[in-house]
Amino acid sequence: MKTSTKSLDWGLTTQRLLAVAALLAIWQVVIWSGTLPSMTPGVAALASSIGAALTSATFWSALAQTMTAAVSGWLIAVAAGTVLGLLIGSVRALDRSTSILIDFGRSFPVLALMPVVIMLLGATAKMETVVVALSCLWPVLVQTIYGARRMDSAVVDTVRIFQIPALLRFRRVLLPSATPFIATGIRISASIAILVAVGVEVLSQTPGIGRQITLAQQDQRWDSAFAYLFFAGLVGWSIASLLNFAEGRILKWNRQTND
Amino acid sequence: MAIQAAPEQVQVATKPLLHVQGLTMSYGAGDSENKILNDLNLEVNDGEFVSIVGPSGVGKTTLLRCLSGLVQPRSGTVSVGGEIINGPHRDLAVVFQDYSRSLLPWMTTLENVAFPLQGRGVGKKERNETAEKNLAAVGLAGQGHKYPWEMSGGMQQRVAIARALAYNAKVLLMDEPFASVDAQTRFDLEDLVIDLQSSLGVTIILVTHDIDEALYLADKVIVLAEKPATVVDVIETGFGDHRDQVDTKADPRFVEARARILHRLRDH
Ligand SMILES: Nc1ncnc2c1ncn2[C@@H]1O[C@H](COP(=O)(O)OP(=O)(O)OP(=O)(O)O)[C@@H](O)[C@H]1O
Ligand SMILES: [Mg+2]
Repeated sequence: MKTSTKSLDWGLTTQRLLAVAALLAIWQVVIWSGTLPSMTPGVAALASSIGAALTSATFWSALAQTMTAAVSGWLIAVAAGTVLGLLIGSVRALDRSTSILIDFGRSFPVLALMPVVIMLLGATAKMETVVVALSCLWPVLVQTIYGARRMDSAVVDTVRIFQIPALLRFRRVLLPSATPFIATGIRISASIAILVAVGVEVLSQTPGIGRQITLAQQDQRWDSAFAYLFFAGLVGWSIASLLNFAEGRILKWNRQTND
Repeated sequence: MAIQAAPEQVQVATKPLLHVQGLTMSYGAGDSENKILNDLNLEVNDGEFVSIVGPSGVGKTTLLRCLSGLVQPRSGTVSVGGEIINGPHRDLAVVFQDYSRSLLPWMTTLENVAFPLQGRGVGKKERNETAEKNLAAVGLAGQGHKYPWEMSGGMQQRVAIARALAYNAKVLLMDEPFASVDAQTRFDLEDLVIDLQSSLGVTIILVTHDIDEALYLADKVIVLAEKPATVVDVIETGFGDHRDQVDTKADPRFVEARARILHRLRDH
C-alpha cells in the first residue's frame, strides 16, 4: 500500500493520458465536422498558440498579474476567515448573534459589489484583490465556524473531566478538530480566487489573463483566447492539486479516522 | 474547641472516600420529565473496587456522569473525601464508554496520555516520563509514538486507562470499559485492571451490564434496577486479591452471588 502511493502508478498515468488524448481527438473531429463556428481553433492551432504564449512576455506578465491578485486576495481571506471563524464558532453568544449576517453574506453575489469597489478604487489590481478577498472570505468563514462549533461530545467530556484550561483547549483540541473544515474552506476558496480574478479582469479590463482573453477575442484571435483559457484552467488545477497534497500530509489523522 | 475537634477526626478516618446521598436525576422538565435515578445511596471506601451492575438503559451512564461531576443531579449529593462534587474534580478520572472517540486522533498515544498533565501545567519532560511509565503499566511500553487509529480497540482502551492513571486521581470511574472488545481481550483487560488496582491502590468504580464481569472484578457489587433506577442489592464478593478467570468464576460463592443478582434483576 505505502509503496504504491509514493511511486508513480504507470498504469493509471497511461489511462489518464489516454483520456486526455481521446478528448483532443474528439475536439479535432468536431472541428472537422464543421458543427462549431469556423473560427474555433483546431488542436494543432491551439498547441502552437499555447507554445507561442509560453514564449511571450505579455503572457507571463498577465499571468503574474492575475496570480498576484488572486493569491493575495485569497491569503487575506484565509487569514481573516480563519481568525473570525474560530472566534465566532467558539463563542456561543457570538455564533448566535452573527448567524443571520453570515447566512446573508454567504448568499450575497460578491461580483455584484465590483462596480462599487471600482468606484472606490478604480479598475486596479487593488480593486481586483479586494473583490477576490471578499469572494473567498465566505467559504473559509463558514467552514471554520462550522468546524469550531462542532466538537465531538466525547471529546468535550474528556476535556471537561481532565479540566483542560481554556487556552490549551483552544490550541490542542478546538483548533485541530476544526482543521479539516478549515482546509476544505481554503481549498474551495482557492478555486474561487482564480475564477473571480479572471472574471474581474474580463469584466473590468484590469490587466491580467482575463483582459488578454477579451483582447484576443476582440482581435478575433481565437486560438490565443483559447490558449489563455487553457492556462487559467491549468493554474486552478495546479493549485487545487497542491492543496490536496498538502492536506493529505498535514491531516493524515483525519483521512485515517474517516476510513 | 480543640476538644471538639478530636472526635470529628476519628469520624473522618472511618468515613467512606466517596459518598452518594439521596441522588435523584431526571432528563427533561414538566410533563416530559423522565426520572432516571431515584434516591440513590452508595458508599465507596478508599482502595475499594466497586462494580455497579444493571441492565442496559437502566441509567448507569447517567449515574457515572453524576458521580464525575459532568452533570448536576436534580437533588442529593456526591462527595469525595468530604468535599461535595459540583463539577469535574481533581480526584476523579473517567474512562469513557466511547473510548475510541474520547482519544484525540491528532495526538500520538503519548501526547494523549500526557495531555491531562499538560493541562495541569506539568513540564514537557516530566509529563512525557509519567505518560511513558503509565503506558508501560498498561502493557504499551514503547508504543507512545503511534496514533490511536493505528491501534486495535483493546489497545485504545489501554491508552484510555493509562491516561486516567496518569492523571493520578483518587477515584477512577469506568463506564462499560470492555463492552466493545472481543472475549479474550476483555479477560486480559479485566486482569490488567485488577493488577493495576492492587498495585496502585486506586479506588475504582466500574459500571457494567455484565454480571460475571461485575462479580469477577469487584470487592463490592451494587445492583441497580427498576425504573427509575435504585439500588436493589449490595453484595460483598470476598474473593480477596487473587483472581483467576476460570477458578474464581467456578467458586461456589461466585455462582451463588450470580444467582442472587439474576433473581434480583428478574424480580424487579
Ligand atoms: N441526554 C439525555 N437526554 C435525555 N434522556 C437521556 C439522556 N441520556 C440518557 N437518557 C435516557 O436515560 C436512560 C438511561 O440512559 P443511560 O445511558 O444512563 O443508560 P445505561 O444504563 O448507561 O445504558 P447502556 O447500558 O445502554 O449504556 C435511557 O432511557 C436514556 O434514553
Ligand atoms: Mg451507558
